[in-house]
Amino acid sequence: MKKSLALLLAGVLACGLTACGTPAETPSEDPAEGEATGTYTVGICQLVQHEALDAATQGFKDALTEKLGEDGVKFEEGNASGESANCATIVNGFLSSDVDLILANATAPLQAAAAATDSIPVLGTSVTDYATALDLAEWTGTVGTNVSGTSDLAPLDQQAAMIQELFPEAKTIGLLYCSGEPNSSYQCDVMEGYLKDMNYTVERFAFTDTNDVNAVTQSACDASDVIYIPTDNTAASNTEAIANVVLAAEVPVVAGEEGICKGCGVATLSISYYDLGKITGEMAYEILVNGADPATMEVKTAPNVTKKYNAANCETLKLTIPEGYEAIATEETAE
Amino acid sequence: MNFITGLLNAMPGAVSQGLIWGIMAIGVYITYKILDVADLTVDGSLCTGAAICVLLTMHGVPVGIAMACAVLSGLIAGLVTGIFHTTCGIPAILAGILTQLALYSINLRIMGWGTGGGKSNLPISVDKYDLLVSARHVRDAGLHNPVLLLAVFCVVLIAVLYWFFGREIGCALRATGANGNMARAQGINTNFTKVLGLMLSNGLVALSGALLAQYQGFADINMGRGAIVVGLAAVIIGEVIFDKVFRNFALKLLSAVIGAIIYYVVIQVVLRMGLSTDDLKLLTALVVALFLAIPYWKGKLARRSAAAPAVVAAAAGATGKEDDGDA
Amino acid sequence: MLELKGLYKTFNPGTANEKRAIDGLELTLEEGDFVTVIGGNGAGKSTTLNLIAGVFPPDRGTITLNGRDLTHLSEHRRAKYLGRVFQDPMMGTAATMGIEENLALALRRGKSRGLRPGIHNQERELYRERLATLGLGLEDRMTSKVGLLSGGQRQALTLLMATLKKPELLLLDEHTAALDPKTADKVLQLTKEIVERDHLTTLMVTHNMRNAIEYGNRLIMMDAGRVVVDLRGEEKKNLTVRELLEKFNIENDRMLLSE
Repeated sequence: MKKSLALLLAGVLACGLTACGTPAETPSEDPAEGEATGTYTVGICQLVQHEALDAATQGFKDALTEKLGEDGVKFEEGNASGESANCATIVNGFLSSDVDLILANATAPLQAAAAATDSIPVLGTSVTDYATALDLAEWTGTVGTNVSGTSDLAPLDQQAAMIQELFPEAKTIGLLYCSGEPNSSYQCDVMEGYLKDMNYTVERFAFTDTNDVNAVTQSACDASDVIYIPTDNTAASNTEAIANVVLAAEVPVVAGEEGICKGCGVATLSISYYDLGKITGEMAYEILVNGADPATMEVKTAPNVTKKYNAANCETLKLTIPEGYEAIATEETAE
Repeated sequence: MNFITGLLNAMPGAVSQGLIWGIMAIGVYITYKILDVADLTVDGSLCTGAAICVLLTMHGVPVGIAMACAVLSGLIAGLVTGIFHTTCGIPAILAGILTQLALYSINLRIMGWGTGGGKSNLPISVDKYDLLVSARHVRDAGLHNPVLLLAVFCVVLIAVLYWFFGREIGCALRATGANGNMARAQGINTNFTKVLGLMLSNGLVALSGALLAQYQGFADINMGRGAIVVGLAAVIIGEVIFDKVFRNFALKLLSAVIGAIIYYVVIQVVLRMGLSTDDLKLLTALVVALFLAIPYWKGKLARRSAAAPAVVAAAAGATGKEDDGDA
Repeated sequence: MLELKGLYKTFNPGTANEKRAIDGLELTLEEGDFVTVIGGNGAGKSTTLNLIAGVFPPDRGTITLNGRDLTHLSEHRRAKYLGRVFQDPMMGTAATMGIEENLALALRRGKSRGLRPGIHNQERELYRERLATLGLGLEDRMTSKVGLLSGGQRQALTLLMATLKKPELLLLDEHTAALDPKTADKVLQLTKEIVERDHLTTLMVTHNMRNAIEYGNRLIMMDAGRVVVDLRGEEKKNLTVRELLEKFNIENDRMLLSE
C-alpha cells in the first residue's frame, strides 16, 4: 500500500517534471555547443509580470543578443510573480549554474542578488534609487561593489533643461526634498550644478519627515518661483499635503517622477523601459567581454525621455504647456 | 553531467530556504494540524517579523534582540486574530484574513518608520550588519554557513515545542484541536487555548520572516504573499511521506521542516529543468492539491480493501479480530 | 444539591424555526440521587443536561449546585463540578491523543493548567488500576490513540474520565444509545458499579424504559420542556414497563388534547 503510493507519487512528479521540461528560452540550449564558442550565461530575475519590467527585460536581451549573436549568450529567466521571497530561490538557481552575470529587474531582485553574491556581477534595472535599495549611506553615483545598473530615474540634465524650457523667466528655483534620503540629496546636488550653470538662483528646502512637510513647503513657496522635487519617497507619500500649499501659493512644481507630478506637479520626464533595458544590456557587454568592473561603473539613466504634464494643475496655475508634451493619464495604474 | 552538478550546487541554497520556511511550516502545523484551523494571518505576520527585524537591526539593535522583537510582533498578530475569532465570534479563516489585511498597512508603517510615510521595502546588507544568516555564505564552509546554523536552530526549536506540548497547557491546546467539546467538558478554556495556539504559530512565522529577511537581504511588503500555501504544502508533503514512519510528536514537527525542504528542492529542480517561473504557481497549486488528495484517496482505498475481507469473514462465520473493523 | 428553578429556553427565537425547548422546568436532586430521565423526542432531556453543563445559557431561571449559582458560569469553569458522558462516543474523548493522555486531561479537570508535566509517571499506576476495572484490556495499551478504540471502549473510557475526579454531579446523555445491545448493557453495568462505589449524584437520560426502571432510585419523565412524572422509592421500584408506557401515552394524549 505504502509502496504503491510512493511509486504513484514518484510517477506523478516525474510526469510533471518531464511535461515542464521544455526550456523557457531557446537560444543555444545545447550546452556543449555553447561552451565551444564561448557562450555567456546570463540570469535574469524579474520581480513581477508588468509591462514596464517586461520591456526592460526585452531591451536587455535584445541589446546583448545583438552584440554577442544568437549563440553568444544564453538567458536563464525567472519571474518571482510578485512574491518577493521567490527572488532568493531564483537567484540561488543562477548561482548554482554559475551564470556570468545577473540582471536584477526591480528592487527586490537586486537586493536578493546583492545578498547572495559579492563576486558575480549584478546589474539592476527598473530600480529608481540604488542608495535606498542597497542601504548606502553615501551616494556618489556608483554602488562600489559587484553591483551596478540603470535607474529608471529621468536624466537630471534633461530635467534641468525642461525647467529652463518651461520657466525661462524664473529667477529662483527651490529644491524640495527629504533630508533623510541619500538619493534625494544626491539628485539635488547634481541638479543644483546644472541649474546654476543656467544662471538660476538655487535654494534648498529639506524636510526631515512628514510632520514638517507643510511648513518647509510653505517656506519654499515663499522663496521660489519654481520648485523642483526629486524622486523622494517622503514627498511621494505626501503629494496631497504639498499640492495644498503649492497650488494655493501658485508656485509650479517640476517633479523627478510621474507619481509626484500626478499629485502636486505640473511637468515631469518619463522614460522608456525598453531603452533602459538596452543600456543595461550594453553595460553587461562591457562587463562580460571587455572586463569592465561594476564597482567603477556609474549607475546610468535612460537616454530617451517623454515630456509629460499634469493637465489639471497646469490649468489651475494658468500655465501654457508648449508642443511636445503628453498629458499624464489620470486613471493610470502604474506600479 | 551539467544538470546534476548544477542541481547539486543549488542544494545548499534550497535547503537553507527550506529550513527557514520549515520554521514557518511548524507554525502552520500548530494551527492547521493541532488546532484544526487554517490561519491566514501568516501571509501578513511573516512580513511583520521581517520588517521588525530589519528595522531594529538598521537602528543598531543586536540581531538577536531584533529577532526576539520580531517573534513578539508575531505573537501580537496571533493575539489579534485570536481575539477576532474568540471574543468577536468571527470565523477563524475570516479573522485571519482580516488581520492579514490590517497587517499590510501596519507592515508599510513599520518599514517606513522614521521616514514619516509608509515604505514597501527595506534593505539589510550582510556587508554592513552582523547578520545571523545570509545567502552570501550558503556555499562557504564554516560556522556561518546558514545550512548548519538553521539546522541547529530548527532542532532546538522542535525540542522546545516538544517540551511545551508535553506540558499541561500544551496538552490542553492539543485537546482543544482534537475535540473542543471534550476539552471544555474537562474544564479547558478553549478560547484561551485557541488564542495561545494562534499566538505561538504566528510567533514562529514571524521568526521565520526575520530569518528570511536576513537571508535574502531585504524585507518587502510582498514577501509573505502566498506564504500559507508554502506552509501548507510543507506540512502536507511532510505528512504524506512520513506519516507512517514518524509517530513521535517531535518527529511530526520535523516532518513539516523536511516537507519544506522537499518543497524548495522540487522547485529548484523544476526550475533547472526549464519550467518558466510564470507557471510556478500553477504547479504549486497542483502539487498541494495532489498531496491533499492523497490521504483522502488512501482512506477510500483502505475502506474498500477492509470491507472485502470482512464480508468473506462473515460468510465463513468466523469471528473478526477485535480492533480492525473499529479503526 | 442540584436545583433547577423556573428554567426557560427557546431556540431560534423570532424565526420560523422557533422552538421552545424548556418551559418552566423545576427540578431538585438530593445528594446521592441516581435519576433516570425519559421522554419523547424534543421533550427537552438533552437540552436540560446541556443547560446544566453550560453549553448554552437559559433564557430565564437559575441553576444551583450545592449552593453555588452556576447559571452564568462558562462551560469550562463549571466543568470542575461535573462529569459528562455524551451520546456520541466520538464526543467524549480526543481521538488523536493517547488513552493515558486523555485520562491525564480528565485528572486535571478544574485545576489551572500551567507548565507542569502533562502527565506524571506516578499517575500511570492509577490509570492502569482504573482501566483494569473496565475489564477491556485497555490497561495494556495506555499509549494507544483513542481513535483506534471501538465505540463501546470509548464510552467506557469517557465514563472513567468523567468519574476519575469525583464529580458533584454526573451527567449521562443517552450514553449507551449508539452502542449495540450487548455493549450497551456492559457500559450500563459499569455505570452502576461506579455510581454505587463513589455514591455519585447522577442524571441519566435514556430512551430505554427498561433501563430507566432498572437503574437508579428515581425516575422522571419529561414532556414539552418540563417534568410531568416524578417517581421514587418503592413506587419506582415496582414500576413495570407497561405501566410506564401507559403513563407515557397518557401524557402524550393529554398534550394532544390540550393543544
